[in-house]
Amino acid sequence: MQSQCTWTQPRMPTPLCFKSSTLLTFSISKHLHTKSFDSLASRKGISYYPFLMATLSTPSTTEKDAVSFQSESTQKTQQPLQVAKRLERFKTTIFTQMSSLAIKHGAINLGQGFPNFDGPEFVKEAAIQAIRDGKNQYARGYGVPEFNSAIAGRFKKDTGLVVDPEKEVTVTSGCTEAIAATMLGLINPGDEVILFAPFYDSYEATLSMAGAKIKCITLRPPDFAVPINELTSAISKNTRAILINTPHNPTGKMFTRDELNTIASLCIENDVLVFTDEVYDKLAFEMDHISMASLPGMYERTVTMNSLGKTFSLTGWKIGWAIAPPHLTWGVRQAHAFLTFATSTPMQWAASVALRAPDSYYVELKRDYMAKKAILVEGLKAVGFKVFPSSGTYFVVVDHTPFGLENDIAFCEYLIKEVGVVAIPTSVFYLNPEDGKNLVRFTFCKDEETLRTAVERMKEKLKRN
Amino acid sequence: MEKKLSSVAKTFTPSPIQELSHFAQRCNAINLAEGFPDFPAPIHLKIAAVSAINSDFNQYRHVQGICEHLARTTKEMHGFDVDPQTDIAICCGQTEAFAAAVFAVIDPGDEVVLFDPSYETYEGCIRMAGGIPVYVGLEPPYWSLDSDKFMGSFTRRTKAVILNSPQNPTGKVFTKDELEIIAGACCRRDCLAITDEVYEHLTYENIKHKSLASLPGMQERTIITSSLSKTFSVTGWRIGWAIAPAFFASAIRNIHVKLTDSAPAPFQEAALTALRSPPDYYESLRRGYESKRDYLVELLAKIGFQIQLKPQGSFFLFAELPKNSSLSDVEYVKELIEQAGVVAVPGCGFFHTNLSSEKPSQVSCNYQKRYIRFAFCKSDATLAAAAQKLGEL
Repeated sequence: MQSQCTWTQPRMPTPLCFKSSTLLTFSISKHLHTKSFDSLASRKGISYYPFLMATLSTPSTTEKDAVSFQSESTQKTQQPLQVAKRLERFKTTIFTQMSSLAIKHGAINLGQGFPNFDGPEFVKEAAIQAIRDGKNQYARGYGVPEFNSAIAGRFKKDTGLVVDPEKEVTVTSGCTEAIAATMLGLINPGDEVILFAPFYDSYEATLSMAGAKIKCITLRPPDFAVPINELTSAISKNTRAILINTPHNPTGKMFTRDELNTIASLCIENDVLVFTDEVYDKLAFEMDHISMASLPGMYERTVTMNSLGKTFSLTGWKIGWAIAPPHLTWGVRQAHAFLTFATSTPMQWAASVALRAPDSYYVELKRDYMAKKAILVEGLKAVGFKVFPSSGTYFVVVDHTPFGLENDIAFCEYLIKEVGVVAIPTSVFYLNPEDGKNLVRFTFCKDEETLRTAVERMKEKLKRN
Repeated sequence: MEKKLSSVAKTFTPSPIQELSHFAQRCNAINLAEGFPDFPAPIHLKIAAVSAINSDFNQYRHVQGICEHLARTTKEMHGFDVDPQTDIAICCGQTEAFAAAVFAVIDPGDEVVLFDPSYETYEGCIRMAGGIPVYVGLEPPYWSLDSDKFMGSFTRRTKAVILNSPQNPTGKVFTKDELEIIAGACCRRDCLAITDEVYEHLTYENIKHKSLASLPGMQERTIITSSLSKTFSVTGWRIGWAIAPAFFASAIRNIHVKLTDSAPAPFQEAALTALRSPPDYYESLRRGYESKRDYLVELLAKIGFQIQLKPQGSFFLFAELPKNSSLSDVEYVKELIEQAGVVAVPGCGFFHTNLSSEKPSQVSCNYQKRYIRFAFCKSDATLAAAAQKLGEL
C-alpha cells in the first residue's frame, strides 16, 4: 500500500515540474558537506514542503542559486539577503529532495515519523464536540484548566509525583514548542548545555536561538549506552542544563535507571538543570519508562516535556506540555506567551478526554506497536541489515553498510530509487555527520500491510555486496 | 533556584490583561477586556473543521491551498503579487508568525522601532531575540504620527519598524500620509517592516485597510503577519501566517518548524473554507462590528466619556477617562468591576515610559494613565447587559 503523500493536496496539486533539475544534484552534494538539520526529519522523516520551496529556502550557503531562481518580483530588486546570524546554519535539507524522489518512484515511506493510520474515535469525537460547543476562542495561555488537571493526573499515575496543575503545568503547541519555550525561557546566551547525539534537531536549533554553548556526547552502537566517563568530564559547575530524550529518537534507546541515577547525581553535584523529552513514554517495549523527575532530588531541577501526538496518533493537533516546579515553569511560560500565546482550544478539551483513557488503551497501543515492530525488525534482519536493539519509540536504526553504499545518504537514495522504500539517513541527527554515516532509521508507525510490503520489496531488491 | 531563570525571563511580568480577566471571572463581571468574541464561530467553519477531523486530516500537515488563497486575496486587497510556493509561511497564529519573523531578522543589539501605545507582545518577542525596542509616542487624542519624532528615532542600529494597523488598543487606522512617512523612512534607511494586520477586515466608515507592503519600495522589505482569528472569530484555532519575499518567508518557515513544527492540521483544512468566504461574509462582519462599535460609543457617552477617536478599525475602543474623574486608569477599572460588574483594560499596560523623544515631561506623559480599552467583540446581549449595568451607576 502506498503511503499517503501529505505534501500534495488532493484539491490543489502542487506542480512537480521544477525550475531546474540540476538543483536536485547540486543540493545533494552540498548537503553532504554541510551540517543540515530539518526538524521534520526526526519526527516525521521527510518534509512535506514542496521541493521547489525547499531548494529556494537556503539563503546562506546557496545564496546565488536561491536568488537566481526566485520569482520575478524579488529578482528585480537584487537585495542582499538578510537573515539573523543565528539561523545561518539551519536550512531545509536533503529530506525535501528525498520526498520528491519518493513520490517520483512510488516509494513506501518508512521515513516519516508519523502514523499512516488515524487517532482513536473517542478523542476525535471529543474535539468535534468541543468545536460544536463553541470552545473556539483563546484558551488561558498556559492551558485550559481541565486539561492541566488531566496532565497532572496522568503524571501522578505515571510517576507517583503530585504536581499543581495551575503552577507546574504549561500547555504548548506540541512538545516542539515546549522545547523551544524551555530553551528560550531558561537558557542565557553563553550557557553551557549538554546534548546527546544523535538528537532531534529542534534541540540544536532552539539552543542556538537561545545563544547556548552546546557540548555534545555521542551515543554509539550497538546499545547506545551513555558513556559515563565522557559525561563526567563534560559536566561541570559551568553546565547550565542537560537534555535527555527517552525513549530516544532515532535509536529507540531507553535510559536505564543506572544511567539516570548517575546523571542525577552529577546534576545535583554541579547544580545542573535537566530537560527531558518523553513523547514516546507510552511506546516503551523492552523496559519500563523512567522519568528523571521522579528520582530523588530531581523534581526541583527538571522540566518534563511530553505530548499527545505519538500516544494518540494525532501528530497534527500540536498539543504538548511541560511539567516543572513553579520557579522553572515561570521561565517556560514567559517564553511560551511570546511564541504562541495560547494553544488550540478544542484540541485541549479533546486531549483531557484522551489523557483519562483507561489502561486498556495503553495496553492495546503497545501490543499493536509491538506486532508492527516484529514485522519490521524480523524483515530487516532477513534482508541483511545489522539491526540494533530498540527498546522504545516507533523507530529502529540499522547499519546499512552490508549493502556497499558509501554513506547513509547514498544508501537512502538507492533505497528509494532501486527498492522503492524510504528510510532516513541519521547523519542529520549528529553535530558531526560522519558519526551517523553508517546508520539509517526506519519507522514502524505504519499499518501492517504497508510494513509487510516494504519488507517484501527490500527482500526482493536489496542485495548484499 | 530562582537564579536559573534566563535574564530575559526575569524582565517579564505577568500579563495585566490576563490577570484582570481572572479577577473579572472571579467577580463574575461582564468581560469587555479580553479581545475575543463571546459569540459563536461561523458555522461553515466549524463544519469544515469537524469534517477535517473525521476525514483523518490529523497528522502533521502543510496545507498549500492556504497559500494559494492568501496569494489571491493579497492581490485583490493590496494589488501586489506574492508567490504561493515561496512567499508564505503558515504558523500557529499571528503570534507565532510574528515571533518567527522577529527571530528571522533581529540580531542581538538591533533596534526595532515601535509605536506607543502598542500591544504588549511585540516587545516581548523583540527582547527574546536580543533586540532593543525603541518607542515613538503617537500623539493623543487621535494617535497621529509626528514625522520628526518618528525620523528622530532611527539610528545606525535600527533594523526594523513594527506596524500594527488597524491598531490595538487605539482602533486607529494609519492614514495614507502616515504610511508614506513610514515607508519613506524604511526605504531611505534600508530598514525592514514587520506588520501585524490581524484586524485587516475590521475597518469602518468605508475606510479601507491598506497594507504597508503595497507602497512603492516596500514589498521587498516587509513581512506581513496576520491570521484567521479575528476575521473568523476563531481565536482558539491558532492559524496564522507570514507573507514576505521568499528568503524571509523561508527563514520564517524554518524557524516556525523548529518552534512548533506545524499549525494544527484540521484547522488548516478549515482555513481553506474560511479563505473562500464570499465578499458578503466580510461585509456583514464589518457591518456587525460597526454597529457594536456605535452602541458602545453611545453607552460610554452616557456615563461621561468623551470619545475623541471613534475606532476606525479593530474591535477595540480606547477611551479617555471622563474629565471629572480624578482616578487613574487602574483605579477606574477596579471601580468599574466593583460598582458595575464590567471589566475593561487599563491603558497603562500599552504605554511605555522609555519613549524615544526628548525629555518627556511628567505632564505630557500623564495621558498614559488616563485611558482604558474596551473590547466590543461581544454579543449584542453582552453589550446590552453592560449598558444596563453601567446605566445603573
